[in-house]
Amino acid sequence: MASFTPYTYIQCPCHDSTVQGRTADDASPTVSHELNEDDDDGHAFDPRAQRSIFSLYPLEYLLYCDVCHQIRCPRCVSEELVTIYCPSCLFEVGSSSLKTEGNRCTRSCFQCPICIGPLAVQALESPPESAPVLSEGAGTPIPSASWVLTCSYCHWNSSEIGVKFDKPQGIFAQLQKLRYGEDQSKHVISGDSSPTKPESIPDTSKARFAALKSFYGSQTVNANPSAGLSGLGDYGLNSPGALTRIMSIYSGNNMNGLKQKNKPTIMREADSHNEGFRLTDLDESSAISQLRRDGMDGTITSAQAKVQVEEGAQFADQLWPIPYLLRTKRSKRCPVCRHIISKPEPKVSNTRWRIRLAANNNAIPTISIKPLNPPPGSGSGLLRPMRPAQFLLTFKNPLFDDVKVTLATPATTPGRFASRVTVLCPEFSIDANPDNDMYLDDVLKDGEKERQRQRGDEGIHQAEAGKIWERGRNWVSIVVEVVPASLRLDPSSVSFRTEGGSEPDLSTLREDEDILEIPMFVRLEWESEASHDQVGATISREKDAREKRELAYWCAIGIGRISQE
Amino acid sequence: MSRKQVKGEYIETDTGNKVARKAVLVGTQHIMLGGKTVIQADAMIRGDLARTSQPSSAPGAAPGSTTAVAIGRYCFLSKGCCLRPPGRIYKGSFTYLPLRLGDHVFVGEGTVVQAATIGSHVHIGQNVVIGEFAIIKDYVRVLDGAVVPPNMVIPSFSIVAGQPARVVGEVPEGGHEAFELRELYKTVGNNPQPLPV
Ligand SMILES: [Zn+2]
Ligand SMILES: [Zn+2]
Ligand SMILES: [Zn+2]
Ligand SMILES: [Zn+2]
Repeated sequence: MASFTPYTYIQCPCHDSTVQGRTADDASPTVSHELNEDDDDGHAFDPRAQRSIFSLYPLEYLLYCDVCHQIRCPRCVSEELVTIYCPSCLFEVGSSSLKTEGNRCTRSCFQCPICIGPLAVQALESPPESAPVLSEGAGTPIPSASWVLTCSYCHWNSSEIGVKFDKPQGIFAQLQKLRYGEDQSKHVISGDSSPTKPESIPDTSKARFAALKSFYGSQTVNANPSAGLSGLGDYGLNSPGALTRIMSIYSGNNMNGLKQKNKPTIMREADSHNEGFRLTDLDESSAISQLRRDGMDGTITSAQAKVQVEEGAQFADQLWPIPYLLRTKRSKRCPVCRHIISKPEPKVSNTRWRIRLAANNNAIPTISIKPLNPPPGSGSGLLRPMRPAQFLLTFKNPLFDDVKVTLATPATTPGRFASRVTVLCPEFSIDANPDNDMYLDDVLKDGEKERQRQRGDEGIHQAEAGKIWERGRNWVSIVVEVVPASLRLDPSSVSFRTEGGSEPDLSTLREDEDILEIPMFVRLEWESEASHDQVGATISREKDAREKRELAYWCAIGIGRISQE
Repeated sequence: MSRKQVKGEYIETDTGNKVARKAVLVGTQHIMLGGKTVIQADAMIRGDLARTSQPSSAPGAAPGSTTAVAIGRYCFLSKGCCLRPPGRIYKGSFTYLPLRLGDHVFVGEGTVVQAATIGSHVHIGQNVVIGEFAIIKDYVRVLDGAVVPPNMVIPSFSIVAGQPARVVGEVPEGGHEAFELRELYKTVGNNPQPLPV
C-alpha cells in the first residue's frame, strides 16, 4: 500500500457562492456580504461533503488579497492574459495574430500524433556531403521534399502519412498547403461572404465556421439591416447593445423598428458548401474496407483523435502532426476589489513576478504534521482503531508580525466513522518571521538549534492540555490527540455514526473513507502596519499606526489512514 | 537511511561541495561544480564524455570548452542518478556536447539526465529519464517516473509527468520557494543538521 503523506487543504471563502455571486461589476454590495460571512459559524464544515472538494486547495495554490484581507483561489480570481507564447520555441505571439492565426504555433513546432512527443525536422536521407559541390555549377535546386517531421520518442515520421517538406523552415505553412491546398489559409483569415467562388470548398472546421458565420450574418443583415452580427464578430456579448441585437435576431424583428413588424422575414438555413453546409457522409463502405485491410492496428485511440486539430480521424493514416497549442502568462485579479494580486513579468524568459501575493507568504501559516512518538520499527504506518495517538502540528508564521492563533475542531470527525479529536492547546501566539537575511538567519538558527538540543536533553516532556509543545523563532508546535474510529460496519460500535436515527448506512468502505481527516477552523489575529491603500480613511494617522487584522478559514487536515483490522 | 554512518562518508570541498566517497565521478577534469552541491553515493557523472576535440575546426576555442558537465550552486544529486552529456553527429562525426545545470537543481534517485540545459530551481523526481538535448527552463517540476523525450523544451513554471512527458500543470504562485535547496543541503554531509521546522 502506498505510504500516506499528511496534508492540509484550505477552504477558500468563495465556497459560499452567494457571497461571490455577481460581484464582478459592483464591489460595494459585496463588502457587506463579506462582513456577514461570520453568520455561517453555526454549522461545522464537512470536508467530505461532495461540494467541499471544489473549495479545498493546498496552501501553495491560494492567493491573498491584501485589500480585502481575504483568501483567493484559482477558481474565484479573474485572469488576464499578459503574454501568449509557444511552449516549444518560446516565441511570443501578439494577441492580434492570435485572432487571425489561431491558438497554435505557426512556426515549426509540432507534436507527434501518435504519442504527443515533440517532432523534429529531419533530412529524409542524410544529404550527400559532396553532392552540392557537384551540382552547384549546374544550378539544380536541392531535390524537393527531402525533409520530414520525426518523433524522437516513438520514431513515427511524417512520411508515414506521405508528408514531406521542401525546406526545413516554416513547416506550419508548408503543412497547411499540403493539407488544405493553396488558398485555404486566405479563406480562413478573411472569411468574406463573397459567394462567387463555388469551387472553394471550406473543409477545415475553422473555415466552415467562418463560412457559416458570414452566411448567417448576411441573412440577418438582409432580414434586419440594423441588427447585423458586427457586435458578435468581436465577441462583445457582454454589452447591453449586443444583447439587444441578439434579442432582435431571435425575435426576427427590430425592437425599435415597428414598421417592419408587418413584414415577416424568413431566414433560410445554410444549404450549400460555400455557406458552410456539409452533408454527413453516411457511406462508410470505404472505412469498412480499410478496417478489413488494416485491422484494429490501423485504427486510432480516442485520445489520439481528441488531440487532432480537425475532428473525424479514424485511421492512423488520417493523423496529422499537431501544431503546439500556445500557452500564456496570466495576471490575476481579486474578484471583489479588482486589485491585481498576481502579475508575472511579461517576457517569456523572465521568471520574476511584479506582484505575487501568495497566501503562504503573506498571511496563512503553514501546518506540518508528524506523529509525536513515531512507532519504532515503522510498522504498517496505519492508525490503530480505538487506540489514542498523538500528533504534532507545527504552525509556521510567514508574517513579520506576531500572530495569535485560535483553533477549533468538532469533537468527532464527520462521516460514518467518528474519530475523536482533541486539540490540547487551541490558543497560542507565534512570533514574527524575522527578516530573511540569509547569513544572519543561518547564524541565529544554529544557535537556536543548540538551545533546542539542550532543552531536549533536560527530559522528555509530556503533552499537557493548554500548553504548547515547542516554540521556535516563528513557529509553534502543538499536540493533537486522536482516537481513530473503528472501520467495522457495526451499528453498535460507539464510533459508528448513524445519521439522524435513520437506517444505518452499511455499504462497503468508500474510497479514502479510511483516512482520518480533521476539519479545523483557524482564526488568525495580528496587528500590522496600516495599509495605505484605503484613501481617505483617516488622513491624520500616525506614522506607525497599527491596524488589527483578522483572518479565519476552515481547513482539512489529513492525519493518516486507519487500519481495517 | 542507516544510522551507523561511517565517519567521513562525504568529502567536503573548500567551495562547500559534499561529494559522497561512493559517488562515481568519471573524467573529473571535465566536471565543473559551482559549490554547495551534494552528490550522494552511487550518483554518476560522466565527465569523460567531453566534446571530441576538433583541432582543425576550432582553433580559437577557449580552453574551458572541454567542460562536459557544468553544475551550478546548491544542486542535489540523489543516490544512483546519472548525469550524461548528450551526443550527436555533427559535420559528419559524432561528438558529445556539454550538459549544464543551473542552481538549486534536485535530481531524484535513479534518474538519468542527458539534457542540454537544465535551468535553475528545477526539481526532477526519481526514476525519471531526461532525453538527449532536452531543454528545461527555470521553475520546472518533473514528477516521478516521467520520460522526457529527446529535444523537448519545457517552459518555466511547468509541471510535467508521463511517458512521454507532457505538461500536466502549472507551478502555483505559492510554490516557488519549495524549489530552494539551501536547507536540504545542510541535512547531508559529515555533520548533518535536522531539517528546520
Ligand atoms: Zn475562491
Ligand atoms: Zn513554436
Ligand atoms: Zn511519437
Ligand atoms: Zn480584494
